[in-house]
Amino acid sequence: MPPARRSILAWLERESVFKWLPFVPVQALVVFLLLPTALLVYLSLVSWRITRGVWWRAPFVGVDNFVLAVHDDRFVWAVIRTFGFAAAAVGLELGLGFGLALLCRERFRGRRFYTTIFLLPMMIVPAVVGYDLSMLLIDQGPLNQVLTVLAGRSITVRWISDYNMAKAAIVGADVWQWTSLMFLIFLSGFAGLPPDPIRAARTMGASRWQIFRHVELPLLKPVLAIALVLRSMEALKIFDYPLLLTEGGPGTSTETIAVYLWRVGWDFTRVSHAAAMSLILMLVVVLYTVIAIHVLRRERGRLAGEVTR
Amino acid sequence: MKRRWPFTLFRHGVLVGWTAVTLFPVYWMLNTSFKRSEEWVTWPPHWVPQRPTLENYVRVLTPGSTVFELGRQTLKVLKPLGDSLFTATASSLIALALGSALAYSWARFGTGGPSYPYSVLTIRMLPPIVIAVPFVVYYATLHLLDTYTGLILVYVATSLPYVIWMMLAFIEDVPRELESAARVMGASRLRVLSAVVLPLTASGLVVTFLFVFILNWSELLLALTLTNTQVSTIPITLNKFQSVNEGRDYGPQAAIGTIATLPVVVLGFVIQKHLVKGFSFGLLRK
Repeated sequence: MPPARRSILAWLERESVFKWLPFVPVQALVVFLLLPTALLVYLSLVSWRITRGVWWRAPFVGVDNFVLAVHDDRFVWAVIRTFGFAAAAVGLELGLGFGLALLCRERFRGRRFYTTIFLLPMMIVPAVVGYDLSMLLIDQGPLNQVLTVLAGRSITVRWISDYNMAKAAIVGADVWQWTSLMFLIFLSGFAGLPPDPIRAARTMGASRWQIFRHVELPLLKPVLAIALVLRSMEALKIFDYPLLLTEGGPGTSTETIAVYLWRVGWDFTRVSHAAAMSLILMLVVVLYTVIAIHVLRRERGRLAGEVTR
Repeated sequence: MKRRWPFTLFRHGVLVGWTAVTLFPVYWMLNTSFKRSEEWVTWPPHWVPQRPTLENYVRVLTPGSTVFELGRQTLKVLKPLGDSLFTATASSLIALALGSALAYSWARFGTGGPSYPYSVLTIRMLPPIVIAVPFVVYYATLHLLDTYTGLILVYVATSLPYVIWMMLAFIEDVPRELESAARVMGASRLRVLSAVVLPLTASGLVVTFLFVFILNWSELLLALTLTNTQVSTIPITLNKFQSVNEGRDYGPQAAIGTIATLPVVVLGFVIQKHLVKGFSFGLLRK
């Protein structure tokens, strides 16, 4: 072994080097991401458009952009709408995913077949889902045909052009795709349940329902918490479905924060306005994140306590 | 066990229902991808193409760049396909290497303090649209706009939180006694990693790779923001297709959708057995 290589290996063998080494590139990446955040603050305080000169010579305007953002009804509504979509979609996904996992938790004939099918949607590109559904939901599309056959009379739901139905379509797209992930998480949750407390409860004569309600459900609480946190943080970013399915329309009835900010920043080239709105959004998200992480830590800590006990 | 048949019936009823809901859109995409243009929109819609054809696939897969045909713009997907494959694979592999090394270090030495994985999670919680605006300006200044390096760097950063959290579950399953035994017998730290930890977490590495690969393969917003003509991914192509033709070029678009879906689904089924384990996120232990 050449001495250079040996000395490198010896250097790696030192605990302080070995354990800190993976942190160097990761921290570098974090710094790399923090710089644009600083830039975001700067851009929100000046008045700059893409079409207007170089960004470092833009005039300083103070909090004007923030005042504009707060008074922008379209922005405020986009925020409310996004939270509404996320709440509806995540609620449905949790319920459906949990129910399906409950039905698939034990061995029975056909279980493998069902689980294989149910995991399919999460492997499909969301943009493809958005586009695919836009094809299903046209007025003369197969979904209206299925409804017509099921109802026995002619039904034409205007999925894309009706204000409320378009909203339902966006939530439906999210539910169709992400119930699969919830199903998977709950399935692994059921698989990981410790057998001892359940066996103990059964020996003490507890009914199936009692075991579920008082033993399994409390044990599954951390899983429910992580599923809720994971899904809600992704659902608040919703962008692909409105863009490809409804293009935010009809009107602005399915315009989410991401779609609106995208338009303000690039279609309308009002970069500074978009930056101010982004910062406001970031504050909201940070607040939500702090709460979510607190919940996660508590649940994880509680679980660790139960394992050692 | 005679009294259980109503439950069995109920179970299969619900599961068959959800199977139908799941398969319906997937089937329709496949169906449309084999249809000629006159069959794309009909009433009643055709559930089986009457004159099946491969022309949609041929049209999108022929080499070359975008052309106008019969007043329609047909986008070619060979280049975006290659770009997507390259950026998603490279970024997922880099994130996997960095993230699992970090997860190991945190699980074994507590490096970075007890809250480190939680603080990494904040990267994922930030909506990409928030950083999209300054990122363009930032990347333009660094000359990283519309480059593979630029896109890969962003994807590595956004997939790291998932890698760290998923790998933690697998690493915590490796018995420490095994590692200390190997250490006592004189194995170096690197040797312990390659001979003990790596084989025991192999399935975890595969599941984690697949999951972040799916994320990066399907990412739209950042790709749309940070690329232009040099680099272009599959989701961008679909979006372009949709806006250029007002979504009416159903056949070729369904073909692109099928092409974009197939590799991931095949990979997913191969490793399905390990998927369930991969999603316990270190919250469950046996």
